[in-house]
Amino acid sequence: MRRIVGQIVENRMLFLLVLLLILFIVFSFGVPGFFTFYNLTNMTQYGVELGLLAMAEMLVILSGGGGIDLSVGSMLTLVAMVIGVLIGRAGLNPSLSILVGLLTGVGMGYVNGVLVSYLRILPLIVTLASLYIYKSLALIVAVDPRFGPNPMPVSNFPETFYFVGQYRLGGIPFQVLFIFIPVILILWFLLEKHAFGRYLYGVGNNETAAFFSGINVRRTRLTVYTLAGFLAALSGWIITSRIASARPDVGLGYEMQAITIAVLGGVNIKGGEGTIGGVIMGVAIITLLYNGMQLAGIHQIWQLGSLGVVLVGSVLLNQMLLARRKF
Amino acid sequence: MKRRTLLRKREFTVFGLIVVLAVVFSLTTERFLSVSNLTNLLLQLAGTAIAAIGMTMIIITGGIDVSIGSMLGMSSVVAGKLLMGSAPVFSVVLAAMGVGLLMGLVNGFLIAYGKIPPIIVTLGMLNIIRSLLFQLLGGRWVSGIPPAIRVIGLGKWLGIPISMWITVILIVFFSYFLNSRSLGRAIYALGNNPEAARVSGVNLAKTTLFVYTVTGILVGFAGLIYVARTGIVQTNTGTGFELEVIAAVVLGGTSILGGKGTVIGSLLGAFLVGIIKNGMVLLNVPALSEGLVIGALILVSVVIDVVRARGERL
Repeated sequence: MRRIVGQIVENRMLFLLVLLLILFIVFSFGVPGFFTFYNLTNMTQYGVELGLLAMAEMLVILSGGGGIDLSVGSMLTLVAMVIGVLIGRAGLNPSLSILVGLLTGVGMGYVNGVLVSYLRILPLIVTLASLYIYKSLALIVAVDPRFGPNPMPVSNFPETFYFVGQYRLGGIPFQVLFIFIPVILILWFLLEKHAFGRYLYGVGNNETAAFFSGINVRRTRLTVYTLAGFLAALSGWIITSRIASARPDVGLGYEMQAITIAVLGGVNIKGGEGTIGGVIMGVAIITLLYNGMQLAGIHQIWQLGSLGVVLVGSVLLNQMLLARRKF
Repeated sequence: MKRRTLLRKREFTVFGLIVVLAVVFSLTTERFLSVSNLTNLLLQLAGTAIAAIGMTMIIITGGIDVSIGSMLGMSSVVAGKLLMGSAPVFSVVLAAMGVGLLMGLVNGFLIAYGKIPPIIVTLGMLNIIRSLLFQLLGGRWVSGIPPAIRVIGLGKWLGIPISMWITVILIVFFSYFLNSRSLGRAIYALGNNPEAARVSGVNLAKTTLFVYTVTGILVGFAGLIYVARTGIVQTNTGTGFELEVIAAVVLGGTSILGGKGTVIGSLLGAFLVGIIKNGMVLLNVPALSEGLVIGALILVSVVIDVVRARGERL
């Protein structure tokens, strides 16, 4: 028994898996309507948007040097507005608009990356500034001069636009099958099988050592910030399609939730440590928690509270159990 | 010695920017120099500046506190609720600061003794406190707060708002504290090199606990000022406040890596943000682009620093 507990404590993945199972069992028995095929698949739909942002935070935090991206929520919002305005107000072809939206995300991430890696400004400061800038741009883009000076949501999309966010294939939401799973597979390949992953963990663990082993530290960091922009853009596209509206406040506060999930998933805030499996587990736990609480009729605002409790509680429990084992 | 002159320069840059902006705004708008506008500016500044004192100390230790927005909201709710129940002003002041102290204590305890990174603890607390606050308010507003308290938010002495007097007193006190008291020096030592600080007899855990707790009290007081100034508390009171305060502190020259910074710098940083917001309103620049300007300013001021640091090395 001691050995099992010890293993669970030392292996973050196992720890999270146990937490996930406990939640799953509690909700299945305690909350009516939880353990149904429809609910379980429906739930994954919500996990995708936060999940993509959590992946973005994972990459950025892994790269070390104080890596963090406070601007993912703002990037998501600006992309949502760009796509919304191009389709809904300018009447542009949806595919083209989505492409422009995704490129906007890549561009914003690239700017963050250049400031962090080439101008050597600390990520917290860069992304704090870009949080303000991108949020502001989203508000400006959302203004429709025909209806006065205030930012307005866009919601007159053609039917085809709802495909990615609302359709299902064999009961499984489209965005899970065709966006989230491929993204995870690609990231998994990049981190675990490709040289890029070794560079990234190297840079995050010890920047100087990585530099002297010939790793291009700057380019590695630039790449992760750019990727973060792209992932935030994907999330912005999906969310716009799912809620059938592009809102200038859609991504508000998402950065904090995404960071929380990444850290819960075992990504070390100091960089260089953490796995994609752990973060997926973190996403699953939080999605399950949100869904279970919603079905149990607990007010939405407690979602955030429980997120905080799970985050602090899990790290604290881990810390305490580890400390006890040392005696 | 060299470090001090460098520090002074940084504050001087910010001060220079403030002067330039003030001149520009007073030439381009008629209302900028009016008493009512300047009073308004100072009133809005006080809360940010007071919270920035605590944030400066936290960042000097190498930490960060992103939960202060929720903390501000919570102490505002407590103060607002008590005032609606016509509690005496004195006890409301104590309660607001007491609630802040309690929240700061929890943060500090988890960071100092639980050995959890500050960003994780305060991220968690940001969400937990916001949920509790919502529960307390039940999704409604508190408005129509009795006027007894409003003197703290709107009252004046010698033509300057009382909240600004309090801010100035606090700034002077904490400047002295950080420069001349051993606990104050310990805060810098902790941020510069924790190991060296520990060896030279600094109690790291106690110093950490102290910094977060004091920040809690200061934010509690800022919450009180908020209630006193606006007379209203909503469920989203204080959201984004943490970013505004961090921006002020960073603009004021405190290094996010720790070990370096002054509360006067942060006061100037808060002034800079405040004056820009104010000027933009007067110039009829749409509020939408406020973030654009503040964000660009953070970047520009940091880039100036980077460039200047390179120049000095040559």
